[in-house]
Amino acid sequence: MSSSNIRDLQRELENKANDLNKLQKDIAKNHQVRKKYTIQLGENELVLKELDLLNEDANVYKLIGPVLVKQDLAEANANVRKRIEYISAELKRLDATVQDLEEKQNSKKETIMKLQQKMQSLQAGKGKA
Amino acid sequence: MASSKSGSGAMTLERMSVEQLKAVKEQADMEVNLLQDSLNNIGTATTRLELATTALNDLSLRSLGSKILVPLTASLYVPATLQDPHHVLVDIGTGYFVEKTMPEGKDYCERKINLLKSNFDQLVEVASKKKNVADEAGVILQAKLKQLASSS
Repeated sequence: MSSSNIRDLQRELENKANDLNKLQKDIAKNHQVRKKYTIQLGENELVLKELDLLNEDANVYKLIGPVLVKQDLAEANANVRKRIEYISAELKRLDATVQDLEEKQNSKKETIMKLQQKMQSLQAGKGKA
Repeated sequence: MASSKSGSGAMTLERMSVEQLKAVKEQADMEVNLLQDSLNNIGTATTRLELATTALNDLSLRSLGSKILVPLTASLYVPATLQDPHHVLVDIGTGYFVEKTMPEGKDYCERKINLLKSNFDQLVEVASKKKNVADEAGVILQAKLKQLASSS
């Protein structure tokens, strides 16, 4: 009876370990996306700072594919601001998901620990008997 | 504040188990590597900006109508005449270009270089602190492992 019990536990443990792996992969992916957005945010902020420094009559061009298109300074400014807003919102969203995932990861780790302890005690009991 | 923090850090390091220490060391090593990468990137960016500055300086010495060779590809150059030595187009990032006068362009490069340099200095500080933590964890880990080996 105890050996089948151990087998069940082992199966459960494996399942939980797989879940944990998946969670960790998700977290890593999330981190990567976050990093990309952070870099973009930094670049956009630099651009905004640069645009703010310009005179109103400065000529601003936007690179669209292989062509430079002349753009209004005000328009460019608004565009960059909007982009910064969007990226900031996206970063906040990612933060929330990552927190959620990490909480899940911690609870998974705990259940795995408990399972391992249970198995160890069972195996120890079997060894004595 | 930082020194007191690292002091208490060493204290907690002493009390950690071998596994925990290993994890801490790994984490610190990873961060050190990451910071080193960033430092390298900043270094290359700075060199590029410095190159741009020398190019601008060079260009500002030329007069209107002087002969130049324009690179169409890395190996194909076509002769041309310089039409306007006083204006430059600066890439300020995310696909935006701004027309600037020569002194403005030089000023832009200088500002960017200064910004990068200050970032670089800050990062060096952070990196050396992290490196200390990693080294500390490594030393304590070695000591613990030795202790374990001799006691068993």
